[in-house]
Amino acid sequence: MKKPSQFDAIVVGAGPSGNAAAYLMAKAGLKVLQIERGEYPGSKNVQGAILYAKALEEIIPDFREDAPLERHIIEQRMWMLDDTSFVGTHVRSDDYNKPPYNRYTIIRAQFDKWFSSKVREAGGLLICETTVNHLIMDGDQVVGVQCDREQGDVYADVVILADGVNSTLARKAGFHGEIEARNVALAVKEILFMPEETIRQRFNIGEEEGVVIEMVGRITDGMMGTGFLYTNKESLTIGVGCMLSDFKKNPNRTSPYVLLEQMKHHPSIAPLIAGGEMKEYCAHLIPEGGFNAVPQVYGHGWMIVGDSGGFVNAAHREGSNLAMTTGRLAAETVIAAKAAGRGYRANALSPYKAALDDSFVMKDLHKYRDMPDILHRNPQFFTTYPDLLANAARTMITVDGVDKKTKKREVMSSFRQRRSLSGLVGDAYKLWRAFR
Amino acid sequence: MSTVSVNVEEKLFQNRYRVDAGRPHIRIRNTDVCTNDCGEKSCTFVCPASCYKAEGNGSVTLITDGCLECGSCRILCTDHNNIEWEYPRGGHGILFKFG
Repeated sequence: MKKPSQFDAIVVGAGPSGNAAAYLMAKAGLKVLQIERGEYPGSKNVQGAILYAKALEEIIPDFREDAPLERHIIEQRMWMLDDTSFVGTHVRSDDYNKPPYNRYTIIRAQFDKWFSSKVREAGGLLICETTVNHLIMDGDQVVGVQCDREQGDVYADVVILADGVNSTLARKAGFHGEIEARNVALAVKEILFMPEETIRQRFNIGEEEGVVIEMVGRITDGMMGTGFLYTNKESLTIGVGCMLSDFKKNPNRTSPYVLLEQMKHHPSIAPLIAGGEMKEYCAHLIPEGGFNAVPQVYGHGWMIVGDSGGFVNAAHREGSNLAMTTGRLAAETVIAAKAAGRGYRANALSPYKAALDDSFVMKDLHKYRDMPDILHRNPQFFTTYPDLLANAARTMITVDGVDKKTKKREVMSSFRQRRSLSGLVGDAYKLWRAFR
Repeated sequence: MSTVSVNVEEKLFQNRYRVDAGRPHIRIRNTDVCTNDCGEKSCTFVCPASCYKAEGNGSVTLITDGCLECGSCRILCTDHNNIEWEYPRGGHGILFKFG
């Protein structure tokens, strides 16, 4: 039975997408209720974490004044590892030291708390320690949410689902099915504390400068995935993630925490993290199915934003910026729908999808739409190639009396042995296709 | 890669939890399905908190106290649909200090 709405909008979840949506709607004068199951915003949320400034700038232009930011990134390292070595590229530029900075490392529990304080300053009502169990339907229209509290039914004109990668509410409501194991990565990470001075020396950086290292190769034990190491102010974040389907079928039955521990012991990584005091161990799923895995993201009285809608660009390791942008576009849609006064049926909320399609969110996901499939079918990009490249570099650089021409021949033959000439050409084409 | 010994309990010990005693948020629907119908039992090695244990008699047991609420087990079990998976009651479960 339809009850009168108590709010213009309910936002489920207080991560980047939910906070972006709630903030903008509250700021526009809408009556907004935000429901978070954690003790405080951020207490259920996990990210690497890199913040891309642009998406947040469009919501809170002066966020740099008080947002808890760790370090701005001046150097990006891409490493390919075999068992004992890495080869890679380092891109470092003093241009990245010119404000306004473009990327920062953040600690999500702190960042989400800050973002949420902005929502409340804007007039949004936040309730924590409350899990939403179900959406309340009136026929085919979402009219509210059912929380795990006494008298926990709350009604609103529209419900924005920012409930994270598991997308529990939309799944229970039948808006989409279960996530496929091949469309989601399982990542684990640790935060390791050490003196700021140590971090600056080890990474050759100044007080506020940061380094990120992205890694592929043996560290993922033959699975499609990547490792990462980020510098925070007084801590390092180290983690590794692989596709859940690959974990499931890995003949070594390697546990994620074993993978992480092995990675920490890699001779190229161990010295960087030595002495770090581990203060938290996290795990999280990342929706990496891309364009083809994005479900229906709006309907009668509901919209999906952030990870819940699979809005992650795995090729570029971007997620929170897509989350904030989808939250913003959903909020703008609700604000316009309210102004138009034509209700909140799917046709009134369809501008959300149009805006997504017109934004970098769907354009980028579309550009890389074939990537997940190509990588799934070609595990050599995560196994054979990092091995071959690390070995090739080591062979060429080692001075051992063998002439360079012979060394080059050895390297070329190692590539042909492991991948064959047609395999090499085919792989080059596949990569070009995925990235073009 | 050399094998490294890991004690996941030591990792989980660093985390902060508010356990909802006596009200596990994840349940195995039918333990016979694990014992008889599931060969790979991937939950027993993929769960990042090692909540699922393969027992000597072929069954699988579940203790959710260290759960990181990632959702992997539910997705792994899609074929058998043998896991009832909910988030913990509000305020309970893992409480990330840093995330």
